Amino acid sequence: MTDIVELLQTAGLTGRGGAAFSSAIKVKAAREHKARLIVNACDGEIGAAKDAWVVENHLPELLEGVELVTGGRRNAKTLFAAHRDSKTARRFAEAGLRVLETPERYVSSEETSLISLAHGGQARPMAKRAPFVFGGRDSQGKRIRPTVVLNAETLLRVSQINRYGADWFRSFGTTAEPGPRLVAVGGHVERRGVYEAEAGLRLTSVLAMAGGLAADIEYVGVGGMGGVLLTAEEVRSATWDGPGMKRFGGSMGPGLITVWNPRDCPVEVATRMIAFGAGESAGQCGPCMFGLPALSRDWVAFSENSNRETHWHLIRRLGQFSGGRGACGHPEGVVRFAQSALRVLGAELAKHADNSCTKAGGRSYAKLA
Amino acid sequence: MPSSPETVRIGIDRVLCSGHGVCAQTLPRAVALDEWGYPIVVEEYVDPYDASLAVKLCPARALYLR
Repeated sequence: MTDIVELLQTAGLTGRGGAAFSSAIKVKAAREHKARLIVNACDGEIGAAKDAWVVENHLPELLEGVELVTGGRRNAKTLFAAHRDSKTARRFAEAGLRVLETPERYVSSEETSLISLAHGGQARPMAKRAPFVFGGRDSQGKRIRPTVVLNAETLLRVSQINRYGADWFRSFGTTAEPGPRLVAVGGHVERRGVYEAEAGLRLTSVLAMAGGLAADIEYVGVGGMGGVLLTAEEVRSATWDGPGMKRFGGSMGPGLITVWNPRDCPVEVATRMIAFGAGESAGQCGPCMFGLPALSRDWVAFSENSNRETHWHLIRRLGQFSGGRGACGHPEGVVRFAQSALRVLGAELAKHADNSCTKAGGRSYAKLA
Repeated sequence: MPSSPETVRIGIDRVLCSGHGVCAQTLPRAVALDEWGYPIVVEEYVDPYDASLAVKLCPARALYLR
């Protein structure tokens, strides 16, 4: 057997769950430490759908990926993580796999939340002093066995790379971001769904698979709660790749695009998302537990009454979260979204503040997918 | 203080940290506090002697050396 780590290295596969970390490095460490594998098929981000799609349509390949990563180790006790009572959880159970059912909360599918849950703890993020693939301890001192979490699509790609080779894989995407990658397109489009895409495409080409960007669209979200908001004009000139998204403070993240309904007031939608993000704090880390509700309040204050003072409060608040102020990336994700919303909604915010906004309150965002 | 052989790097276990604010006293040049008293690390690399004292004095045992 060709060494899978070498093969992944040559292919240049990176994690498809959002962090885009080198899969070769992760799998190598997992092999060396005989780490237990958790397959993350939670679609934890708002609007995410590709993990469920992989399980629904490519379960045999996913399991092949699992075999390759665990080296066919007997007693590997691989866990398959999905949200409690979800269709994906049922699919796993029907296939006779060990299901790790996590609560339907935003941070419960974060990788360290799953590792905590697998160790009998709560599905809340753990402070990560070193990667848990080496094993370690949680904050209370409980021993954590070596564990590695890989996204469902990542494992699908592992099996494809093994079957078709690194050259095949590299025939998709760009040199820096090779390989096919799934993207879930949701919201105000003709055909919501999960599509095969690759880095380097025009963003409009990705959206075309879902029926295209209608002429009246004004805003498009990329990456959900931890992502960014773009104007339709920006979407028309953007490329679907790391550098293309970085221009707007974002990334390809966990592969999802949400087209906002032009009849909904975008300020209202953003306000709801930020409030939702604040409410989804696990309440463990002070800067997130206190900081996000404060951010949500400052956002509302500015959107209802924009003046120099409310603006200053909001800007100062947004600047307060950088530099790893939580155990997980949740606070930084919400701030990233709020920052992008502030950037693109300038004119809308002014209309909103003087009550001349005539669009409907955006109640439907969380259900867009 | 930049990274050098004479400095060590501090980290904070955000789950354990309960905002006593002692680190802002023991490492005044490296740590600031937010409005709720939770640390903002301004400078990660600090003097090893100061750091070990600060680690010892953290009441939540949240401050550690990376």
